Amino acid sequence: MTVTSEQHIEGKRDVTFRVFRLNPQVDSKPYFDDYTIPVERGITVLRALNYIKENIDASVSYRVFCQAGICGSCGMRINGISKLACTTQVWDELPKCREAGIIKIEPLRNLPLLKDLIVDMDPLVGKMKHYRNWVESSMPEPEMGKKEFLVSEEEFSRYDKATDCILCASCVSECSILRANKEYVSPAVLLKSYRMNVDTRDSLHDVRLAELVQDHGVWDCTHCYRCQETCVKNIPIMEAIHGIREDAIECRGLKDSAGAKHAEAFMSDIEKKGKLVEATLPFRTNGVAWTVKNLLPMAVKMIMKRRTPPPPPLVKSSKGMKQFREEFREMTEHVKDDHKTHNK
Amino acid sequence: MKPFDIIIVGGGGAGLYAAMEAMKTNPSLNIAVLSKVYPNRSHTSAAQGGANAALGNTAKDDSVELHIFDTIKGSDYLADQDAAEVLCTEAPKIIRELDNMGTPWSRLDDKTIAQRPFGGAGRPRCCYCADKTGHTILQTLYEQCLKKGVVFFNEYLALNLSVKGSRSKGLIAMDIKTGKIEAFTARTVIFATGGYAKMYWNRSSNALGNTGDGQAIAYRAGIPLKDMEFVQFHPTGLRKSGLLVTEGARGEGGYLVNSLGERFMSRYAPEKMELGPRDLVSRSIETEILQGRGFDSPAGKYIHLDLTHLGADLIRQRLPQIREMSMYFEGVDPIEEPIPVRPTAHYSMGGIDTDNQGRTVMEGVYAAGECACVSVHGANRLGGNSLLDILVFGRIAGHTAAEEARSFEPGNITDAELKEHADEIRSYMQPSGHYERYGALREELGHTLGTNVGIYREASLLRKGIEDIAALRERFKKVRVFDSSDVFNTNLLQVLELRNMLDLSETVAAGAYAREESRGSHTRTDFPTRDDGKWHKHTMATLVDGRLELGEKPVTMGRYELQERTY
Ligand SMILES: Cc1cc2nc3c(=O)[nH]c(=O)nc-3n(C[C@H](O)[C@H](O)[C@H](O)COP(=O)(O)OP(=O)(O)OC[C@H]3O[C@@H](n4cnc5c(N)ncnc54)[C@H](O)[C@@H]3O)c2cc1C
Ligand code: SF4
Ligand code: SF4
Ligand code: FES
Repeated sequence: MTVTSEQHIEGKRDVTFRVFRLNPQVDSKPYFDDYTIPVERGITVLRALNYIKENIDASVSYRVFCQAGICGSCGMRINGISKLACTTQVWDELPKCREAGIIKIEPLRNLPLLKDLIVDMDPLVGKMKHYRNWVESSMPEPEMGKKEFLVSEEEFSRYDKATDCILCASCVSECSILRANKEYVSPAVLLKSYRMNVDTRDSLHDVRLAELVQDHGVWDCTHCYRCQETCVKNIPIMEAIHGIREDAIECRGLKDSAGAKHAEAFMSDIEKKGKLVEATLPFRTNGVAWTVKNLLPMAVKMIMKRRTPPPPPLVKSSKGMKQFREEFREMTEHVKDDHKTHNK
Repeated sequence: MKPFDIIIVGGGGAGLYAAMEAMKTNPSLNIAVLSKVYPNRSHTSAAQGGANAALGNTAKDDSVELHIFDTIKGSDYLADQDAAEVLCTEAPKIIRELDNMGTPWSRLDDKTIAQRPFGGAGRPRCCYCADKTGHTILQTLYEQCLKKGVVFFNEYLALNLSVKGSRSKGLIAMDIKTGKIEAFTARTVIFATGGYAKMYWNRSSNALGNTGDGQAIAYRAGIPLKDMEFVQFHPTGLRKSGLLVTEGARGEGGYLVNSLGERFMSRYAPEKMELGPRDLVSRSIETEILQGRGFDSPAGKYIHLDLTHLGADLIRQRLPQIREMSMYFEGVDPIEEPIPVRPTAHYSMGGIDTDNQGRTVMEGVYAAGECACVSVHGANRLGGNSLLDILVFGRIAGHTAAEEARSFEPGNITDAELKEHADEIRSYMQPSGHYERYGALREELGHTLGTNVGIYREASLLRKGIEDIAALRERFKKVRVFDSSDVFNTNLLQVLELRNMLDLSETVAAGAYAREESRGSHTRTDFPTRDDGKWHKHTMATLVDGRLELGEKPVTMGRYELQERTY
């Protein structure tokens, strides 16, 4: 007796993949190629791409390695959101298509494009180096291997989630600040910095922190939450970013913190104009209060939710200014309340 | 290209440890790691279970001695006992070293490194970080290499060793980003390129790049490969992709069921049922399929791993990854339906023959990790011993190379040599006379290996496999790269990797044909027992004047006499 597997296949249909193309060797500008192929339910976007590469157009280029969502190679934008192609079901994407039946595939953003769906990862590695994303062991090298550090499960759990990061750069691709400022530290690197800084085996905390509060560092983050919403491993990236900020204020105090001043100016811009005047930001300085920094994230998150102003230099206009200011004030109150309860 | 003292090919656990150790041993050396993927993406990231070391944290009465014995017994007495001793003796030190460098091990209540039980081990000695051990080890090593300023050539594909007489002059590689063929002259070269089990293609749990490049390059340069016939199959791979459903699913109470609805393990292991050892369970599934009690599908025959009786809550809580993978890759939710599975090629025990210091027979060439065969796994590797292998022998190879680098002069790689490779690559892109599709060849290779050089082997099947491989190698001469660009030509990479798999598959099939006995992962239905008299030895595959020659090498014995392997 043989039983076929067809019972698992609820459907088969034609789907069009609209793939971003650019081969710098021959093309002066990018374009899209449409490939329409028969797809059965249960197929991932990666397998659809493999089918296209093997049967229609061998020149379509993308990275793939583990095919199991663990190596981080196959990050790309699918229907406008950065994800892993190998864990994304075609069937799940169908309802999300702008044009019915057409799945749009583009390279990650915020990293230099090399070809088709392949971006250069070197800038990310460069930042990992710059921010010293490693444990600088407090154990001298010749002593290593002789005895274990004692680490509590509780401490382990503090960085456990952060070590899930597979460096796929999906969060990097969606980060709103990076679009404007490629120098920005980037969410994945902040996450890793946090992970190193809370590790008691590490001895480089202060040095790393000093670097993180410089220009392009942790204070530039607008708390838009996009990185966290995108993370393919559901890592709470914002907790890490908050963690670094609180750490910075605690350890380095307020005076030292250029970023904190930056943040206040940011707030005042938002309140006055509902948008950012980036050029003037670094110059407006003065003492900073706790509240301001806690407010900032929510303010920006709200702006993003309303999809009004994009990141700083791209700011054009802000609609509904009046309503925005009201909401902003209301939120100010919320945050103050929150903070009180939090401190109890 | 400036000359290097050490070129390390491969940025997995073995390559990165070698790089770090070489830097430590002699910081004045010029050391580079070359890898076809960014190092943090290497296949080491896929290991979930953990790495063995007799720390005695969980079981106080564990010892290095017990670990050695388990390893040798697990190997079906084919491991070299001196090598197994090095592996297990170095284990506690290396795990602590990783801890000292920042690896996030899971912890016990007393804050020491936690250890879990693992197949074939007499004590719980497997150190882990949740279910992402390989990933976290690899990240740690990569971070430490960044810290030490190791020079990386990321996305470079090694093509060939440049050899003069009995020694290597360095390496020829392609910069994938530009397509340029480059020379890396070096005093020493360390191969750490991982396993070759991807040659079984859809019947493999391996990453796409585990195509045995390092072994193939060494083999073409005349370095012998050892015990290539030993390929470990894992019982439960997903039907379509071969991706792994870990033992945990059966550990939690999953059933294996055939097309008649029977829990067939009652026939093969009435007591242990689904929890029998890997090779036994794999063989049982294969038997059900061969005897017509499997399910049929365009993607091949399979059986069911049924978890539905475990209930939604348990599956969500304890097997979230497995549920996710079944949904992603089979379109099946294990809460509602059984998972289609079949055994999948998982690990390569064989590889480049090295001594205990990582040296090969060629001066200045070393190897470590899954691409090497020291041998510590013999005919069958124990879970958790491979991560250990890559760390311990990665470090040793790095150390030896750093100590010995000065005694070799870097050779000179000529432009003519480079041009030869560039021309060959260009020839694959020519339309005239080149029409074979890479995809078809690769598919057929996986199929013939799975069928004829798979779990059950037999003379007539193996002969068929050997013929098929020869025919495929012939057809490969007409293979066509359909993308003609220089920049990131992934189609070209696929073809070059296929060439390596075709070269190596011949050594696997030939070794299996020669070895007329059943030992560990190698099961001959026509020779169902272990034959220590004739076959207690390693097979050695060497390319001599373009032809495969099969030789042998004795197994190094030690404290442990040959015994029957029963559990
Ligand atoms: C699903 C799965 C789970 C596993 N779980 C465990 C476990 O729990 N415990 C355990 O002990 N073992 C486990 N293993 C086995 C173990 O993970 C591997 O044996 C080990 O990681 C191999 O490490 P490596 O450094 O030798 O090679 P890899 O990690 O495979 O690295 C190979 C490197 O070589 C590079 N390379 C290859 N060819 C070339 C070339 N031509 N040019 C340039 N670079 C090249 C690659 O880019 C890569 O950087 C598992 C294996 C699998 C498949
Ligand atoms: S929250 Fe910060 S790091 Fe995350 S995407 Fe927004 S700006 Fe970038
Ligand atoms: S934080 Fe998440 S999205 Fe960002 S690189 Fe890591 S895994 Fe990818
Ligand atoms: S291929 Fe590894 S994450 Fe997709």
